[in-house]
Amino acid sequence: MTVKALYDYDYPSRDRQELFGDDMVVNVLWAGNIFLASAACFRAPKAMTWQDFKTQMIDPWAACDPDYEPSAPTDWRIDGEQVSPSDTTTLADAGVVHKGLITFRT
Amino acid sequence: MAKPKLSMRDRYRLLTRDLDWTPTYVDPKDVYPFTRYEGIKIHDWDAWEDPFRLTIDSYCKYQAEKDKKLYAVIDGFAQGQGHLSLTDARYVNSLKLFLQGVTPLEYAAHRHFAYLGRHLDGPGARFAALCQSIDELRHTQTEIHTISQYNKYYGGLHNWSKMHDRVWYLSVPKSFFEDGMSAGPFEFLTAISFSFEYLLTNLLFVPFMSGASFNGDLATMTFGFSAQSDESRHMTLGLESLKFILEQDEENVPIIQDYVDKWFWRGYRLLGLVAAMMDYMLPKKIMSWKEAFELYFEQQMMEGLFPDLEYYGIRLPRHLDQAIAEKDYMSHQVYWILYQFSFAASFNTTVPTPEELDWMSSVYPDTFDRHYRPMWERAKRMNDEGNRFFFRGLPMLCQICQIPMGFTEPGDPTTIAVRTSDFRGERFNFCSDGCKWIFDREPEKYVQAWLPVHQIYQGNCGGTTIPEVLAWYGIEDGVDNGEYLTSADKANWDKWHAPAVVGGAS
Repeated sequence: MTVKALYDYDYPSRDRQELFGDDMVVNVLWAGNIFLASAACFRAPKAMTWQDFKTQMIDPWAACDPDYEPSAPTDWRIDGEQVSPSDTTTLADAGVVHKGLITFRT
Repeated sequence: MAKPKLSMRDRYRLLTRDLDWTPTYVDPKDVYPFTRYEGIKIHDWDAWEDPFRLTIDSYCKYQAEKDKKLYAVIDGFAQGQGHLSLTDARYVNSLKLFLQGVTPLEYAAHRHFAYLGRHLDGPGARFAALCQSIDELRHTQTEIHTISQYNKYYGGLHNWSKMHDRVWYLSVPKSFFEDGMSAGPFEFLTAISFSFEYLLTNLLFVPFMSGASFNGDLATMTFGFSAQSDESRHMTLGLESLKFILEQDEENVPIIQDYVDKWFWRGYRLLGLVAAMMDYMLPKKIMSWKEAFELYFEQQMMEGLFPDLEYYGIRLPRHLDQAIAEKDYMSHQVYWILYQFSFAASFNTTVPTPEELDWMSSVYPDTFDRHYRPMWERAKRMNDEGNRFFFRGLPMLCQICQIPMGFTEPGDPTTIAVRTSDFRGERFNFCSDGCKWIFDREPEKYVQAWLPVHQIYQGNCGGTTIPEVLAWYGIEDGVDNGEYLTSADKANWDKWHAPAVVGGAS
């Protein structure tokens, strides 16, 4: 179904990738821990390595739960698919898309 | 001899329908260009029955009397320092949410009913829309005047109009209403007049107005009474307009059902903020969200209204089962979000008192002790240790309702739900099946959503740091936001209620 309108209804997405240049929006969910009330949202370079994303973005965020141990996350998934990227793989190469979702469990 | 007085019915006819005419040298379709493209077919606008038969003179007289009474109460409230009689300063947070979130919607409703007052083809329908448009403007003004009494003494109320356009949690009501305003006139009527003003209205106004009455807020309670007769007129308009459209053509039924399905879920998600307010922001509780949902929705609507609507071919809204499944935990999930993101909100939040925790255990026996009490006790321990728990970052948002992604799988309060759609090669995320379904109906519309978090990341919100964004929101850090126990509101309240010192305060 499309929008019913009296004219050609065609507008670009307000969050399309090109507006973020070499970066993208990456969402992260700590599955099974509702103490953090919501999944988090980051802006990160597509070329950022998996390790840098984890230590510079995920760890400081997840540490607002005092029980978080940086070594604890397992069962990493990108959009539901189990993954185990090497530390030096970039987010883009690991398969993270703009506005995609990374999840982990502890 | 004096002329006999006209009956109300005749006066109404002479002053409304009798002033209408059928254009002859302009095609009526050009005079009313917006009432055909949705596919709704109206064959006879004269079949529109206005159950109130109001005329402008009687309308104005009646409203003026109500205004006079309201402003007398507000004056008395101001002179008698009425704000000191509240149950607690914490209550004012619900007023902050109301002024920032609801009052601008009243104004938006005023604008859009004025549009309907011009663009519906039938004079009866146009006149009903005109009256509602004036009501909504009056509500906007009286709410501002009522709640501004508190602005002199409490934080968070000074900048509500700008906040409504900018702040993350207020994009929830703002985007809801703009979704309706940018739809066709019949969708707007179904969205606002029927779904919002009829189906869900008691779940919005009863919590705020009874909350005011239970918590010593005479000013807001009086506003509520003053608006009540208008609201019942709006409810009637909602139901009558729906029935009128359904009676006009059978082909209208599936279109209206689709609108009802959409706007039930849109409205229900918006009421998440009310649910959180009801269970957590009122020091003295009226009833729980769960009880309110059971009474005002399950009993009054599902058992009362929908059996009547079946006659017209309308069934219960889609995704209703999920709303029912959520009634045991939805308010807790929303307030838990507000609690940990209140560093960026123009109100204060705090851990409920032990008495409140016990109340929640009693009204939410299946979920509270199991899932939420342990988290509140943990948050309290952290707070006592000087580590007030805040989320360190920005939340992922639902593309449709724009609430942070904190809702869980239906019936499972421990697993946060995420739904996705791909449109034109781009990913979009949703909190629920209901929001995803709404996106998939009209993706071209919702790709334009102004999502506050993504806007911050695009650099459109004053900067990329929290202090810069708060400054752009008009929120004064440390005064308007964050923890209630260390807030200026709490400190002032304690000072105002300190025992008098013999010989005068120093």
